Amino acid sequence: MKSAAPWCAGLVTLPMLVIGSSYFHVDVERLRRLAVMAAIAMLLAALVIPLSPSLRNAAILTSTQSWLPGGGDIVRTDTFSSALLPFAAGLWLLTVAVTPRATLDRGWVRRTALVTLLTVASFLTENALVLLVLSIVSMWTFLSALVEHHQRRAVATYLGLSTVLFAVGVALLVSPGTERFETAAMWLIVIAALIRKGIFPFHAWVPEVFDHGRLGPAILFNAPQVGAYMTVVLIVPRASPEMLRVIALLALGTAVYGAALALVQKSARRACGYLFMSQSALVMAGLDCTSVTALAGGLLVWLSAGLAFAGLARCVLVLEARRGRLDLTTHHGGYERMPLLAISFLIMGLACTGFPGTVGFVGQELLVDGAVEVFPVMGYAVVIASALTGLAILRMYFSLFCGRPDVRAHPSLQLGLRPRETRTFLALVAALICLGLAPRPLVDSRFEASSEILSRRTLP
Amino acid sequence: MSVPLTVLVMIGVGSPALLFLLLGAASLLNRPLPERVTGPLAASLLTVACAALVAAFVVHGMTQSGAELLSYGTWSTAHEGGIAIEFLVDRMSLAFAALSTVIAGVVSAFSNRYLHREPGYNRYFVLLAMFVTGMLLVALAGNVAVLFIGWEFVGLSSALLVAFFHERPAAVSNAFRVLSVYRISDAAMLSAAVLLRHLAGTDSLMLLFGGQAGVVGLTASNATLIAILLIVAVACKSALLPFSSWLPRAMEGPTPSSAVYYGSLSIHAGCFLLLRAAPLLEQAPAARVVAGVLGALTALFAGITTRVQSDVKSSLAYASLTQVGIIVFEIAIGWYTIAFLHLAGHACFRLLQFLSAPNILHDLHGLKDATGDHASLVDPELAVLRAGRPRRRIFLIALERGFLDTFLDRLVVEPFTGMARFLTRLDTWLCEVVSAQRTAFRRRGSE
Repeated sequence: MKSAAPWCAGLVTLPMLVIGSSYFHVDVERLRRLAVMAAIAMLLAALVIPLSPSLRNAAILTSTQSWLPGGGDIVRTDTFSSALLPFAAGLWLLTVAVTPRATLDRGWVRRTALVTLLTVASFLTENALVLLVLSIVSMWTFLSALVEHHQRRAVATYLGLSTVLFAVGVALLVSPGTERFETAAMWLIVIAALIRKGIFPFHAWVPEVFDHGRLGPAILFNAPQVGAYMTVVLIVPRASPEMLRVIALLALGTAVYGAALALVQKSARRACGYLFMSQSALVMAGLDCTSVTALAGGLLVWLSAGLAFAGLARCVLVLEARRGRLDLTTHHGGYERMPLLAISFLIMGLACTGFPGTVGFVGQELLVDGAVEVFPVMGYAVVIASALTGLAILRMYFSLFCGRPDVRAHPSLQLGLRPRETRTFLALVAALICLGLAPRPLVDSRFEASSEILSRRTLP
Repeated sequence: MSVPLTVLVMIGVGSPALLFLLLGAASLLNRPLPERVTGPLAASLLTVACAALVAAFVVHGMTQSGAELLSYGTWSTAHEGGIAIEFLVDRMSLAFAALSTVIAGVVSAFSNRYLHREPGYNRYFVLLAMFVTGMLLVALAGNVAVLFIGWEFVGLSSALLVAFFHERPAAVSNAFRVLSVYRISDAAMLSAAVLLRHLAGTDSLMLLFGGQAGVVGLTASNATLIAILLIVAVACKSALLPFSSWLPRAMEGPTPSSAVYYGSLSIHAGCFLLLRAAPLLEQAPAARVVAGVLGALTALFAGITTRVQSDVKSSLAYASLTQVGIIVFEIAIGWYTIAFLHLAGHACFRLLQFLSAPNILHDLHGLKDATGDHASLVDPELAVLRAGRPRRRIFLIALERGFLDTFLDRLVVEPFTGMARFLTRLDTWLCEVVSAQRTAFRRRGSE
C-alpha cells in the first residue's frame, strides 16, 4: 500500500464501470444491483485511504505549472480530502440503494454514477482549472436531471452565473497583474462559492430545486458540498481576514434564516431545502472562522450533517413513493406500519441538529465554541440555528409519522420498507450513532486537517 | 480519588444507559423485546443503579466531606474544546441521583402494569430509560458538556412521551408546544455553557458548583450574565413564568410519565440546577433577585390557577408548580438546605398523588354510579373566587391559565410565522423573476 494511485484509480473506475454498463441493454434492477455493489466496493476502497497513513498524504499527479491557484497537485490526497472520499461513496450507496423503483431508469443510474465520479474527482484535486472543468460538467449533469423548464431556467441562471464568476476569477488569478486584480479575483470566486452553496442573498434556487425538482438528483448534487471544498482549497488559503469575516457572517445569518423558514413550510420537500441551506451554511461558517476549533467543527458538521441530511431527504423520498407529495400541515400517521423509517428519520434529524449520542453533537459543539471565539455575539447564531433546526425536524417527524391517517390503507397494501431500504437505513443510523459514541478518531483527523488548512494561509 | 466510588457511580449511571441502548437497539431493529422481558429488565437495571448510587452516597459520606471530581477520560478529543466524561460527586448530587433512580424504579414498576398490552409499551420504556440516563447526567455532571447532554436527553424524552398516544392530534401538537419551550431552554443552557467556557476559560463545574466561582476569574457582570442564562434555561424546564403554559399541555402523556416528569423529577431538574449553581448565584445578586421574583410570581400564579382546573392532572401539575415556585424562591434567598429537603419531599409526595389519581377517580366514579349522587360542580373555594367583580377577574385569569398561551401566540408565534411566510414568498418570487428575466433575455437574443 505504498502508492495511493491504484486506490484512486479504483475509486474513479468503479463509477465508470457503472456508466459503461448503463449503455448496454441491462435490466434496470440488475443495473441497480451492479451500482450497489460498485458503491459498496468504492466505499471500502475509499475507507482504506484515510485509515492508512502512507495513502493519506500523497501527491499522485503533479503539474509543472505550479503557478496555478490551488497548487500544482492535479491529483492528490491529504488529511482533509481523504475523509471526503468515503463520504462521497456513502452518498452514492445511499442513493442507489434507496431510490424507489418508480423513478429508476438506466439514465438515472448513469447520472448518479457520473455525479459521484465528478464529486470524487473534485475531492482528489486542488487545481483551480481542473475544479472549474469538473464544476461545469457537474452543473450540466445536474441540469439535465431537472425536468421542469421553469425550474431549470432559474437553477441554470444561478449556477451558470456561479460558474462564469468562478471562471473569470480563476482567469484573473492566473494572469499576471496587480494586487487589485487578485483581490477582485478572490471576490469573484467568493461570490461563485456563495451562489453554489446557496448562501443568503444567493439562496433562492436551493429550496426551489428541492420543492419542484427531482429530489434524488438534488440531494446527490448538493449533499457532498463541492462549493465548500472549493472554499477550503481556493478561498481559505488566500482570502483576506475581512473577506472571510464577510463570508462567515453571511453564512451564520443563512443558517438561522434557513432553519427559521424550514419551520413554517407546508411542503416537506421545501422544508428539506431550507434545512439543507441551514446545514450547508453552518459548514461554510465554520470554514471561514479562521479558528482551528471552528474549522474542525465545520469539517465535522460537513460529514455528519451531509450524511444525516441525505438520509433524511431519502426518508422523505421513500414516503413520497408510498403516499404522494407530503404536506406538513396535516398529520399523516403510519408510525406503526413503518417504525424503522420513523425512528431512522428521527435519529437522522437529531444528528442534523447535533443531538448528543450522534456524530453531529461533537461537530456542533466545536462549531459553537469556535464561532463564539471569533464572533462573540454573532457566534450564538449557531445555537439559534441548532434550536430552530431541532424544532423543524420534530415538526416534520410529528407530521409525517404521527396522527391518525385520513385514509386507512388496505391491510394487504405493502407500506413497509423493502429489505434493501431497511439495510441501508439501518447502516446509516448505525454509522451516525457509532461515530457519535466513539468520535475520537474522526475528530482528531478533522483537527489535523484544520491545522493543515490554516497553515497554508498566506495572510494572518 | 476513591476507586469504589468511581466504580459505583459508573454502575449507577451505566445501568440506565445500558437499558436505553438495549431497548433502543431492539426497537430500531424492529424486534422489540416482549413485555415479560422488558419489565423485569427495566426493574432490575434500575434497581442496580439505585443500589449503586445509594452505596456511593454511603461511601462518600464515610470517606469524604467535600465535592470530588470523578474523571472517566476524554470522550471526543484531547484537543481544545474536547469533551471529558466527568462526574462531580458530593452529598447533594449523590442524594438527588439516588432519589431519581428510586422514583424511576417505582414508576417503572407501576408502568409495567399500567401500560400492559399498550401498543407503545416498548417505546415508553426506551424513553423512560433515556430520561433516567439524562436525569443522572444532570445530577452528577462534572462539566457543562455532560450537563448539556443530560439536559437534552430529558427534554427530548419528555416531548416524545407527551406525544406517546401519537394517533391523537392534540397530543402531537401539544408535544410540539412543549418541545418549543424546551428548545429555548436548551439554547439558553448551551449559550451559558459556551459563555462560561470563554469567560472563565474552563467548563469544569467543580470550579463553579464546588463553591469556587470567585477563583475562576468571573467578574460580577459576567457571573450575572451566565446566571441569567441559566435562569432562563431553568424557567423553561421548570415551567416558571412566563413559560408556564406548556405544563397543562404536557399532561397528554400517560399518567406514569406525567408523574415522573411533571410531578417529581423533570420539573425539579431546574431547581436542582439552581441549587448546584448557588455559588454562582451568590456572585450575581441581580440574578438572585430575578430568580426570587420569578419563583414568587410563579407560586402565586400556579397557586390560584390550580384551584380552578377542571381535570385532576392539570390541577396536580399546577399544584406542583406552586411548590416549584416556592423552592426557587427559597434558593434565591439562600435557604439551600431547606430548598433541597423541600424538593426531595415534594417529588416523592407528588409522585404518589399522580400515581394514585387514576385509581381515586375510578373509585369516585364507581361510588357515584352506585349512589346516584353527583357532587357539586362548584368548589367552595371556587365559589369564593367568583363572588365580586375583582374576584371574578382573578377567576377568569386563573381559568384561562393567565392567558399565557394567547400572549405567546400574539407576541412570538404569529410575528415569527408571519415573517417567515413572507420571506418564503419572497424567495419564490425571486426565483420566478430570475427565470422570467432569463426567458426574456433569450427571446431578445433570438429576435
